[in-house]
Amino acid sequence: MKLLMNNGSWGMLLGRSHPLLVHLPIGILLIAFILILLSRREKWRHLQGALPVVLLAAALSAIFSCITGYLLSLDGGYEEGMLQTHKYLGISVAIVSTLLYLLHRYRERFPKLQLATAAVMVLLLSAAGHYGGSLTHGDDYLSQAMPAGLLQLVGIHQKAANVVAYTNIGDARLYEDLVQPVLASRCYGCHNEQKLKGGLQLESLALIRKGGEHGPVLKDSMPEESELFKRLLLPETDEHRMPPKGKPPVTPQELELLHWWIAQGAPTKKMVKELAKTPRILAVLDGMQPATPLDKQEFIPEEKVAAASAHHIQALEAKGLKVLPVGSGSNYITIDGVNAIGFSDADLQLLLPLKSQIVWLNLAGTAVTDQVFAVSGQLKHLTRLDLRNVALKGKGIAALNACKDLRYLNLAGTTVSSDALSPLKDNKKLEQVFLYQTGVAAASVQQLQRSLPKLKIDTGGYRLPQLASDTTIYHKVSS
Amino acid sequence: MTKHNRLIKEANDTTLRYITRRHFLLDCVTGLGAAALGSFLASCGSSSSKTLVDASGNPMAPKAPMFPAKAKSVIYLHMAGAPSQLELFDYKPELQKLHNQLCPPSLLAGKKFAFIRGVPKMLGPQAVFQQHGQSRAWISDHLPHFATMADDVSFLKAVQTDQFNHGPAQLLMQTGSARLGRPCIGSWVTYGLGSENSNLPGFVVLTSGGKTPDAGKSVWGSGFLPSVYQGVQCRTKGEPVLYLTDPDGMSRDLRKESIEAINEINKQEYTAYGDPETLARISQYELAYKMQISVPDVMNINNEPEYIHEMYGTQPGKESFANNCLLARKLVEKGVRFVQLYDWGWDTHGTDEGGSIDYGLRNKCREIDRPITALLQDLKQRGLLDETLVVWGGEFGRTPMQENRDGKDMPFMGRDHHVEAFTMWMAGAGIKKGSSYGETDEIGYAAVKGKVAINDIHATILQQLGFDHEKLTYQFQGRPFRLTDTGGKVITPILS
Repeated sequence: MKLLMNNGSWGMLLGRSHPLLVHLPIGILLIAFILILLSRREKWRHLQGALPVVLLAAALSAIFSCITGYLLSLDGGYEEGMLQTHKYLGISVAIVSTLLYLLHRYRERFPKLQLATAAVMVLLLSAAGHYGGSLTHGDDYLSQAMPAGLLQLVGIHQKAANVVAYTNIGDARLYEDLVQPVLASRCYGCHNEQKLKGGLQLESLALIRKGGEHGPVLKDSMPEESELFKRLLLPETDEHRMPPKGKPPVTPQELELLHWWIAQGAPTKKMVKELAKTPRILAVLDGMQPATPLDKQEFIPEEKVAAASAHHIQALEAKGLKVLPVGSGSNYITIDGVNAIGFSDADLQLLLPLKSQIVWLNLAGTAVTDQVFAVSGQLKHLTRLDLRNVALKGKGIAALNACKDLRYLNLAGTTVSSDALSPLKDNKKLEQVFLYQTGVAAASVQQLQRSLPKLKIDTGGYRLPQLASDTTIYHKVSS
Repeated sequence: MTKHNRLIKEANDTTLRYITRRHFLLDCVTGLGAAALGSFLASCGSSSSKTLVDASGNPMAPKAPMFPAKAKSVIYLHMAGAPSQLELFDYKPELQKLHNQLCPPSLLAGKKFAFIRGVPKMLGPQAVFQQHGQSRAWISDHLPHFATMADDVSFLKAVQTDQFNHGPAQLLMQTGSARLGRPCIGSWVTYGLGSENSNLPGFVVLTSGGKTPDAGKSVWGSGFLPSVYQGVQCRTKGEPVLYLTDPDGMSRDLRKESIEAINEINKQEYTAYGDPETLARISQYELAYKMQISVPDVMNINNEPEYIHEMYGTQPGKESFANNCLLARKLVEKGVRFVQLYDWGWDTHGTDEGGSIDYGLRNKCREIDRPITALLQDLKQRGLLDETLVVWGGEFGRTPMQENRDGKDMPFMGRDHHVEAFTMWMAGAGIKKGSSYGETDEIGYAAVKGKVAINDIHATILQQLGFDHEKLTYQFQGRPFRLTDTGGKVITPILS
């Protein structure tokens, strides 16, 4: 069975034709303006003849638009302030266009006045049209579509992207992190310092508690008794329902959140993990757990750095090094010397112009020697240094202590000496050191380990025991 | 007509043949349309398509990933034929109790198997299991060495596929599609990242076990990507790459000059027709010339110290999985981006001794146990495990039921192909150490928790290499394609 629900009327239908009909006066008035401009020239004087008809049509269609507009406004669902502005601008357009028509009849008496009035008309028309569009599409319809540069130019500040302040939903502050964003997106629009619909402001907890002209909106711990919650549940047709008809409604998840918050006594500072949870709210909170950012890399500093200059990069590439950003869009650089076995101490200075940018440096198998430490020590953001199979003794390794973020140091296959290691103990951030095939004495390794108990020192040289299973071949013994 | 004119006409005809309807259409789009659209779209913030080549014109030049990567290289160990998870990692004592009983009809209703017909018997685990390491991972006595690495790897216990035949399943595992024609993981990776070592191929394939995978060489094919990104198969016996050495009487200088001349012509060809395949050809000529020196060097394991040979169980000059593992380490050490190993012989149906759970499987396990353990430890001691992602797995799993091909009992113990749950593991580069994700039911038949799809594996591999798998795309036949097609979710629980 189909439920017939028809509360329409001719008035309503006419009203709803307003967004269509307004384009008639807009078009006709603009044509009239063009005709007025052109007919001032001798060459186009004959266009004067068309003006009375055009202006009459414009005035009549403008008046008719005003009437349909009024009928539409009775429908409701528009923001009051903007509606008023649009209404008065629309009526002004109708009046001014009627005036234009009348002026045309007495144009000889007031020759200058016609042009001035026409200009005012175009301004009013544009403004009325703009507010009309904002009423229909929302006042951020255009700004949403603007590229960032233009936004800046016209002075609109972009809303900061929704920054999630917590990494675990349990650590979120219920009011500040979860409830306030809901109120901000659904309620602040009408219940703010300027608008104060129903005498109610919702922009702070104190103001919420103060309530509106009909009294308090919160009844502590009783959401079903609190106007702030109750009104969200009313049917769309109820005039008390919030957000009102035509505005985006509160989602079921947001509803659960508000319910829970009020039931918990509308706390200000409490964190999610400190509060009792129902299975319903657990289901909602589950969905709000922020995903761990996947592109985080602990080997890259958070600090921003300027881009390295292209010719310094080219100078290194000319030596056979591979110089690349660690990720597209990052100014931090990783260097790989796999094809630069000739890269030597003399070339090390080329690294210095990039001393802020280099984070990973792999010079494994290159021809550098102990000089590499003095230069690496100046790379202030260096986190990984790979010197596998480089002929170095470890002299000057203390220079690496200047690299405050160095986490990974690979000296495998070098001839680093046992006593060269001890300066490393001041490198507190160091997490991993590789000493495979170095012949560093066990005592030196132990000494370093004692100074830095968390450091993972890998001296390698692993062996696998010979097990019977290594040689057992399984065959069916034929019986 | 003079001879001279005939030659000119022939040259013109040849040129005309190149300009086909496709070229015309392409020109229409890129020529006229692009002039108008290009500037407009750029202002709309549409991302311009990834350029294939850098300024030097080399499609294999290293490129930055989308975000800082955890992994620089990948070693993918594919056990072709599909090893039995029930004898290696997925310990099911309940299944032992059901051993030799008839399979309950609920497990068979509506299911299709490759060979099982009628009602098979259940087959209990044919291995002794123990928990290992601090992670208490269950690993069977088939892999005693690998068991010591329990705290270095992350197991995926509930991987699922939808292909129960080797060829399509291998294709799905390696290319993301059970049909032919898609690029494999290694091709996507080298397409996205290039390769650091310009003297070696960026994507090397090594096979062992006597056969190439059932799906053929398509599993390392580049599909619709330019062919420069296909895997380069290196042989472990004899010449590593066929026809790489200069023929008798050809000096290296002469070879160099002839390659330069050919490439000069190819460059003119590219300027004229813009076919990326010409670029692939140029860089392959150049690479081949460089590889004449670098490949024999890196593929030679004779210079490795004796204890390394002992560790891996390698025997130089033989084709073996052990040799391939050692080579994989050497290649990764030299900056090769993607090393793909295939080891054939894991298809244990019970039809013969080699293909049986009670004999063949144990022999295959022996062949990989030392080498895999050695590979992980060797990468570790060189500080390479940190930036090398190691992936191990087959193309599907095996049934908890004893196979009964054609409704008959088999001469040996065997398990049929199983798509609903199997085990894989990953280690290295940003993968959790000593963890396990996913669970199967009490008899290891179906995945119940932490299910992982094949394209989730792909998404995770790309993730560790610094790519958002949804954004690494290639425009083909009018739409952007990606490795994970329309699916894929990074398996975050195994990421550290």
